[in-house]
Amino acid sequence: MDSTVISTGSALKPRLPSGWRWLVATCLIAASAGLAADPKLLPPEQAFRFSARALDDKTLEARFEVTDGYYLYRDKLKFVLDPGAAELVPASWPAGKIKEDQFFGKMETYRGEVSLRLPLPAAAPGKSVVLVADSQGCADAGVCYPVTRQKITLAVPDAGKGPGPLVEAVPRKKNWFN
Amino acid sequence: MPKSALRWIVIGVVAAAALAGGAYFGLQNRKADTSPQAVAALAGLSLPDASGKEQSLAQWRGKVLVVNFWATWCAPCREEMPEFIKAQTEYGAKGLQFVGIAVDQADKVDQFAKEIGLNYPALVGGFGAMELSRTLGNELMALPFTVVVDRNGGVAHTQLGMLKPDKLQALLKQLL
Repeated sequence: MDSTVISTGSALKPRLPSGWRWLVATCLIAASAGLAADPKLLPPEQAFRFSARALDDKTLEARFEVTDGYYLYRDKLKFVLDPGAAELVPASWPAGKIKEDQFFGKMETYRGEVSLRLPLPAAAPGKSVVLVADSQGCADAGVCYPVTRQKITLAVPDAGKGPGPLVEAVPRKKNWFN
Repeated sequence: MPKSALRWIVIGVVAAAALAGGAYFGLQNRKADTSPQAVAALAGLSLPDASGKEQSLAQWRGKVLVVNFWATWCAPCREEMPEFIKAQTEYGAKGLQFVGIAVDQADKVDQFAKEIGLNYPALVGGFGAMELSRTLGNELMALPFTVVVDRNGGVAHTQLGMLKPDKLQALLKQLL
């Protein structure tokens, strides 16, 4: 009898850990399923990451990194320069994705990365400027954000000098989940 | 007990604790805080409607209130409103009252209300209304956001994103 018990025990021994493995996997799947039931939406500054740099003494570059599952409306994008409050109009608008909206008709939207060149009203070599960006977008999950204002201070390079560093409106947090 | 089994037990316990923690965190997120002050602020709220007439939420005390924060520029908001109009027609006599709070301009709200035949008041609020929705649990200040208030003035449900017809029906069955 004793030998049977021992042999059963040793036969079970390799199975036990795999059983626990199975349980752990189940727990993890259950946990992620539980959390996924209530999709965590991002705040607009993280859904629509705004960054900018000065390309030269008379041109800025504005960038939006739109997180997967979110989109920006092109016609709601607006850039203003501080000081002076001059509106900066992009030299050209990249082609967006046309969204057939049942209420608003054909709407041009941006997903993924968008880069816009913004000519300054006058060359500003060596000056510091604040680029103010208004953007409005939605999540595919079915919520929309009001117009979000984000600001970036940029040092404009001297005449003939190359682009300045890219500055992010909201610095990326380094953590376990990204 | 074999060492490897013990190790897996430890991992299992840790995972279970993580699960409990995660579930608790998830629940906390779902039941986003609605402070008693926020509920009181909502009950005492007074805003102009699209025609400029001041409307107080207190006038519907004792009814089941569905307060819907929305805007004309918000497509999902517009999408769910026909369902609200239908529910207002169907259950209004049983004590259901929808109230829209638009984070928008009065003229746009007025125009859209006429366009879709809105049969419940559309109040117009600015950033203050958005801020109120935040204290009611709309941490992201996104739209649509809906608060369902029971007959005793307690918050029965908050919803960020569209309030699906089946969810609405279930809530009304329970509260009316």
